Amino acid sequence: MPSGTTETAAALDFTPTSATLDEVVAFLDELGQGSPNDVALRREALARYEALPAPGARPHRGWRYDYANLSFDELRWTSGSVATATMPARPAHRLDDPDVDRPALATENAGGLFFFGSMHVDAPGNVDPRVTVLPLDGSHAAGVMHEIVDWRADKFAALATAFRNCGAFVHVPDGVQLDTPIQLVFATAPDDQAVFPHIVVVLGKNARATVIERHVGDGDPFVAGIVEAQAGEGAQLDYVVVQQAGEAARVMFSRAARAERDAQVRWHLAELGGALVRTVLDARLEAPGGRAETSALFFNTGLQHVDLTSGVDHLVGPTTSDTVVRSAATDRGQGRYVGNIVIRPKAHGSDASLRDDALLLSKHAHIDSVPALEIAANDVKAFHGATIGSLDEDALFYAGTRGIARSAALRMITLGFFEPVVSRFPGEALRDEVRTALDRKLDDATEIDG
Amino acid sequence: MPTRGLVARDLRVAVENKEILKGIDLTVEPGRVHALMGPNGSGKSTLAFTLAGHPGYQVLGGSATLDGEDLLVLPPDKRAKAGLFLSFQYPAAIPGVSVANFLRTARMAVRPEDLNPAKFRKLVFDKLDTLDMDPAFLGRYVNDGFSGGEKKRLEMLQMAILAPKYAVLDETDSGLDIDALQSVGKSINALRESDEGKDIGFLVITHYPRILEHVPADVVHIMIDGRIVKTGGPELADEINRIGYDGLREEVAAARA
Repeated sequence: MPSGTTETAAALDFTPTSATLDEVVAFLDELGQGSPNDVALRREALARYEALPAPGARPHRGWRYDYANLSFDELRWTSGSVATATMPARPAHRLDDPDVDRPALATENAGGLFFFGSMHVDAPGNVDPRVTVLPLDGSHAAGVMHEIVDWRADKFAALATAFRNCGAFVHVPDGVQLDTPIQLVFATAPDDQAVFPHIVVVLGKNARATVIERHVGDGDPFVAGIVEAQAGEGAQLDYVVVQQAGEAARVMFSRAARAERDAQVRWHLAELGGALVRTVLDARLEAPGGRAETSALFFNTGLQHVDLTSGVDHLVGPTTSDTVVRSAATDRGQGRYVGNIVIRPKAHGSDASLRDDALLLSKHAHIDSVPALEIAANDVKAFHGATIGSLDEDALFYAGTRGIARSAALRMITLGFFEPVVSRFPGEALRDEVRTALDRKLDDATEIDG
Repeated sequence: MPTRGLVARDLRVAVENKEILKGIDLTVEPGRVHALMGPNGSGKSTLAFTLAGHPGYQVLGGSATLDGEDLLVLPPDKRAKAGLFLSFQYPAAIPGVSVANFLRTARMAVRPEDLNPAKFRKLVFDKLDTLDMDPAFLGRYVNDGFSGGEKKRLEMLQMAILAPKYAVLDETDSGLDIDALQSVGKSINALRESDEGKDIGFLVITHYPRILEHVPADVVHIMIDGRIVKTGGPELADEINRIGYDGLREEVAAARA
């Protein structure tokens, strides 16, 4: 918690139990934020959390992490907001990135919100008057909130639903096309926090927007969040995640988008930080002409573990999807990618492509790739390709004969490996930011070329 | 004053414990073009890779020097910095790395002392023009999805931009159509006529003599079974054209008998 006065803040010890949920409900009442429907939903979600098995019930036997044995010791659950005056200018060193600093948030974006732990920082931003960007409360987004992510089927989505303590609501009305992004920044607070964000993005007919969700900071939080996005008819949504949480952070998100007729949803995901990261990234193509593009990367160094599942559901045809995933691991990094494509019986004329490639840079690194295509319609095109490999020695030698030393060539080839994903991120500044972050990860890696 | 030239002395090399080069003696002087000809499997590419420092090639004995500097103790990048360039028969692809980025990185590595971005850009565009290459080439990933002709043009572009002291061209003419061969020849000759290229010594490795019609050799060596069996002037290439390697093999055997 930052020093100074706080507004409407509450804090309690967190465990994923009904005892804690009772306290949460009492706090919300005190804050005037509780409602009977909300409380009932939270209780149902906790019951689902308790009933559902841990995901990845059959993890690779070399995996260090077991979702069934997560520790929730010494986590704090908080709710509310802090005043601008109490907000340190730079709560974490990574915020010296001008893209993340609050003045930039206020001046270079169509809108944005800043969270410090779960506390919304009450900072005025010059939000484009045509759009709504607000801290989420239960009254927003009926028909979207809780409707797109199937929280009843996922243990951590259920947990996030039960203990939600922060969030954002973004609405871009019909026909509004934004030139600058909306940024949602989650900075880790210094004390260990249980953060349960819920983000809802609604784009109206023919609207166009880029939303950037960032996770930064050096703390030791447990984050379980939900992102639900709806792209109305003909809308285009670029949703970017740049996850640079601290090296001990545990970050789990379920994100899902729904595309209406002729709408396009583009996920751009860079999982760079955290110790244990689990991401589910789904797109549902519900009307003809819908398109989903998924571009995701992770690069696990040290003891990092990233578990990424993407899914595209072609409910009707013709709809199209294109999924490109690049993952790399070095040191003792571990990862898993599960790629699902479902083409339903009514999805005639659909076209789906799924391509994932993994690069192992050290002998103790490990990545699993589990693609799955389920096709129930005729007259569709579906492509899948996957590789797992190590660095190309021929390319290293080739670069060497051009005067490029092995260490520099290794860096160049590794960064190049990610380029098919990075190049699909919107905007050169963002692409360069991701490239720089990957480059820094190579600096941090201790066991490369081994 | 050390011997100038790219020099091999009694160079013996094995690949996977099989001796391929059985004592090569060769001196490529600055500004001169040496052709190294021979049938497939004679060891020509082994010599090229050994000079460039490929880790899979085991030197059993002898020496290789560049203007007196021992190449064999250096990793590949240091050999390039010493002034050696190898044009590959089958250049490796580097997906995700643009030609422009690769060229700049290579140039900075080999010759860090000079060239601001504007001058570098002009240099690259001049060389592209000589090679009849579209500037769009610069944005493509290195050799990724390139045709055979495009790969060889990119090798020549790199050579022109790195302006080495010695260039080993390994089967640069193989797989090229007439137009591509012509622009490769034009690029080599343009480099040889330039200030920074006039002293480059070339070792042109080839199976067929046709590249020598575009880049005339001063000296021709014939390699058979890991040995240079005959060295002569440009007329030796014509002889190969006439009697073939089998004919030459017989001639050499007869001379030894």
